[in-house]
Amino acid sequence: MTIKLTTPAAVAAALVATLGAAPAAAADYVQASGSTLAFASRYDGELFTGRFERFDTRVSFDPAQPQAGSLDVTIALTSASTGNADRDSTLKTADFFDTGTFAQARYTASGFRRLEDGQYAANGTLELRGVRKPVTLTFTWTDGAQPVLAGRAVVKRLDFGVGGGDWADTDTIPDAVNISTRVVLEPR
Amino acid sequence: MNLKNPADRWGGVSQLLHWSIALLILTIGVVGLVMGELPRTPKYFWVYTAHKSLGITVLALVLLRIGWRLYAGAPRPLPGIPRWQAWLASATHGALYLLILAMPLSGWLYDSASGLRPFRWFGLVEVPRLAAPDEILASAAHDAHEWLFWLLVALVLAHAGAALHHHFIQRDATLARMLPRRLRAAPPHEDSP
Repeated sequence: MTIKLTTPAAVAAALVATLGAAPAAAADYVQASGSTLAFASRYDGELFTGRFERFDTRVSFDPAQPQAGSLDVTIALTSASTGNADRDSTLKTADFFDTGTFAQARYTASGFRRLEDGQYAANGTLELRGVRKPVTLTFTWTDGAQPVLAGRAVVKRLDFGVGGGDWADTDTIPDAVNISTRVVLEPR
Repeated sequence: MNLKNPADRWGGVSQLLHWSIALLILTIGVVGLVMGELPRTPKYFWVYTAHKSLGITVLALVLLRIGWRLYAGAPRPLPGIPRWQAWLASATHGALYLLILAMPLSGWLYDSASGLRPFRWFGLVEVPRLAAPDEILASAAHDAHEWLFWLLVALVLAHAGAALHHHFIQRDATLARMLPRRLRAAPPHEDSP
């Protein structure tokens, strides 16, 4: 059987071969299924939680060299789900995520620090609603065939104009929103 | 003043409860229909709180009213009223009591299951939740609240229509015995030449 280099199958095979041949950095990972990205806040003192159903994570990480690591997370803001349709639709409006204009948020970090308690910290940048501000992610790393990055961050919503106008009162909705994530990873 | 209900008319307590609940239901109904059109921002949330608070108030009043009726009794049907009419009136009254109970309860359940924010009665007293947040339950309770409302509107129209019919067409005391004496003094419109 002769393989024509012009067939799509051949091109795909060639691409796969190239990827396989590349000096695969063992520390490059992409997000696998079972990952979660959640947020928690309060309204009038009452706790509510939500999660982003769709987000995508790419990590480069070697526990021996955290300073060489990097992280890139893209979050589909329309996928925010809090268990209440009214609240979810409000989150999409211009007062909150303004998903019509800013469909995605992005968190990027390069160079992690090892903390004394064995965790790591990333001094990254969150781009949300057209605003870029530093946000620190603290995380643990569990090695394995599918390593797990479990992290927490605090985002000051008003820095990004999330919940402006009528919603800006921090007695009603606190400024600090707690983020927690558990990303299951697989080698790229 | 006779507080309990004599055989031929409603006493003061029953009248007060009847008319205050009627007025509250009218107010709550109008607010309920309008508030869905308001912008969903905290500036207008007091309207929702007012609707819910008045509804809980009606729930308390109707429980009081049922209790009072059990204690104080009800006047007998007017002499000359056909048996089927008396029966239909009683059935309507029973259904109205049930609806006036079911409306605030379904609204309360909807509020609880929505879990959007705490509900304080007129901003003063935290009202306990009837259920944990649950989208399906919230949606079912909301549907029930809406359908029961339209059923209530239909029954209230029938109830008020019957009262007005008795008052202006049949010229009997059906409506008058739910009115204070000084209002009762005013006779129905005369069609005399």
